[in-house]
Amino acid sequence: MNTKFKFWGKLTAIFAITTFLAVIPQSPAIWAADNVVKVGNIIPLSGPSASVGQQGKNAREMAVEEINAAGGIKSLGGAKLKMIYADSESKPEKGVAEAERFINTEKVHVLTGCWNSAVSYPTSAVAERYGIPFIVPVSVADKITEQGFKTVFRIAAKDSWWTRDQFAFLKDMEKEFNTKVKKLAFVYENGDWGKGFAGQWKDLAKKGGYKVVVDEPYPSTATDLSPVVQKIRRAKPDVLMLVSNAADAILLTNTLADYKVKLKAIIASGGGHADPSFLKAAGKNAKYIFDIVEWETDVNKPGAKEANAKYKTKYGYNLTGEAVDAYLATYVLKDALERAGSLDPAKIRDALASTNLTSSPGMIVGYDAVEFDKTGQNKHASLVMVQINDIGKGLERITVWPKVARRAGYTPIFPMPAK
Amino acid sequence: MGSIYGLTALGLTIIFGVLKVINFAHGSLLMVGMYVAYWAIVFTGLHPYISLIIVVPVMYFFGFYLQDIVIKPIFKAEKDVREPITVIIVTTGVWYILDNLTLLIFGPQYRGIQDNPLRGKMIEFGEMMISVPKLWGFVAAVITAAAVYWFFQKTRMGRAIRATSLDREAASLMGINQFKVYNVAFGIGTATAGIAAVTLVPFYNIFPTVGVLFDIKGFIIVVLGGLGSIGGAILGGIIIGLIESIGPQFMTATWTEAIVYGLFLLVLFVKPSGLFGVKYDW
Repeated sequence: MNTKFKFWGKLTAIFAITTFLAVIPQSPAIWAADNVVKVGNIIPLSGPSASVGQQGKNAREMAVEEINAAGGIKSLGGAKLKMIYADSESKPEKGVAEAERFINTEKVHVLTGCWNSAVSYPTSAVAERYGIPFIVPVSVADKITEQGFKTVFRIAAKDSWWTRDQFAFLKDMEKEFNTKVKKLAFVYENGDWGKGFAGQWKDLAKKGGYKVVVDEPYPSTATDLSPVVQKIRRAKPDVLMLVSNAADAILLTNTLADYKVKLKAIIASGGGHADPSFLKAAGKNAKYIFDIVEWETDVNKPGAKEANAKYKTKYGYNLTGEAVDAYLATYVLKDALERAGSLDPAKIRDALASTNLTSSPGMIVGYDAVEFDKTGQNKHASLVMVQINDIGKGLERITVWPKVARRAGYTPIFPMPAK
Repeated sequence: MGSIYGLTALGLTIIFGVLKVINFAHGSLLMVGMYVAYWAIVFTGLHPYISLIIVVPVMYFFGFYLQDIVIKPIFKAEKDVREPITVIIVTTGVWYILDNLTLLIFGPQYRGIQDNPLRGKMIEFGEMMISVPKLWGFVAAVITAAAVYWFFQKTRMGRAIRATSLDREAASLMGINQFKVYNVAFGIGTATAGIAAVTLVPFYNIFPTVGVLFDIKGFIIVVLGGLGSIGGAILGGIIIGLIESIGPQFMTATWTEAIVYGLFLLVLFVKPSGLFGVKYDW
């Protein structure tokens, strides 16, 4: 190639770039036009947790639509949020690889995800290494916020709070219905989430004076859970406590009914049991199951009904705790971006750390504020217990605990009648 | 449950035996079969097992044309190779396409057939409980295996298929149209996946990636029982099923997977052709 041409080409390019750069500060309009906040979302869109991942995606989309329609991030000249999704397939290595790709190739400003604790945990290390803020709407393993990381922020309650509340609920039920519970069975998926829960259950059971008769992890990909169910049946526990993903939650519930296992109560831990397809696929076998969640459609909060109605007409099913967390997370991000007024990840991180969100369209959760402690955990996150029952309108999830939040006129069924 | 694994593996082993191709899309074919059965039952309100008359032909032709349109051209391009690798890659592609198409069309929700006469039926002998739909699954597996065996031994087409599986070129020289044979074999393999799907539908969830769960087990069973062996597939399935159901009584359920894979490795070390495999084929 002609050297002269090369030189002129370079010169023009440099000139063009400098003019462009020079123009930007003076004209916010141009700046805003190609100004977007890139948010990388790593969620399970296929594999065993695809159903939950899809809900998280829907909730994010709804929040982003609302935020962008209302003028985007004003302190950034109306910058729009742009969501980029990656499928983790519930696999830790996929989560890590996608986080690397998002940060290095897509140049995202913020990461969110990953629902599966096993994926969020290693992914948080990637975010920390690059200093990219990582918002975890819901992944409950305690250790995610206990690594001393600066960039991890979790909206949902951590699992030690979930298990604490499950046992508090059990004690309250025993008192309210004057029924003694002695033997507990723990059956849980063989991942970070299930094992984390089970470890805490064991401690709590010891403290509470319960006897653990079954302690059984199982692979979430199991095609047949009847051996596990037979084990439960022979051990004759009073209460069965579960941690399950969706496919196995359905399979377990149906198999328990098939084998006519007699229990006083089943206490589930959200996840698969909170999946909208769970009620449809398990049908009347799901009756009387107690489940712990962060949010229920009957929550008494302004805007909650409207948000749920909008979501339902859009996607065909109710909001779940997971979806609400994702919805709220998007608004928490918006709030932080407004205060950061910059796309510098460090500034966004600092803004997130000083979050104190009390009123926002996203605040449809049962608690009153989002505020992160030193570890990045939302201090105010709280939980409720629901019971699945049919009170004349088909199967639904009815809030029963804490007693102040119980749906008016409903008495929980405890112990469970024989089916 | 083991017999249903066996039924899934049966289709795999037929396709492998004849085409000498490991069909990675087999789990997806099972998944397609489950969706066909699901919609057939939901729309017509038929008894789940009667839906076989719809599912089996649909699946047969699905497999037949899948082979004819998608796999055959690749086969022709690689006709000089005994075990065409590219075809394996194509089946992997088919697997991804089918799974993701279903994900797009039907969404990731879990479906189950609520009101079917078989759901939750149990035969009780004191402490022993046997699930009725699973018992029928066993019956279906044995009948299907017997029928396939009879077909391969006694009918003209069956003999043609066996001839092709032994020596592709010699069979062609004898005037057998090998691609037609492949289509039929693939169709039969897919139809058995359809039968497995129908036996699963009354008590199992239907979702787009359901096939993956059965796929891996199918491969293990086929290797365990011997590649290309019909009886081996069913027996291998029952062995895996027994390990899965008896194992957890003595240890935690997660250990059974380790045992299954351990056994798989052991068989590969000791008798690579599988329990009922034919040695000369290797």
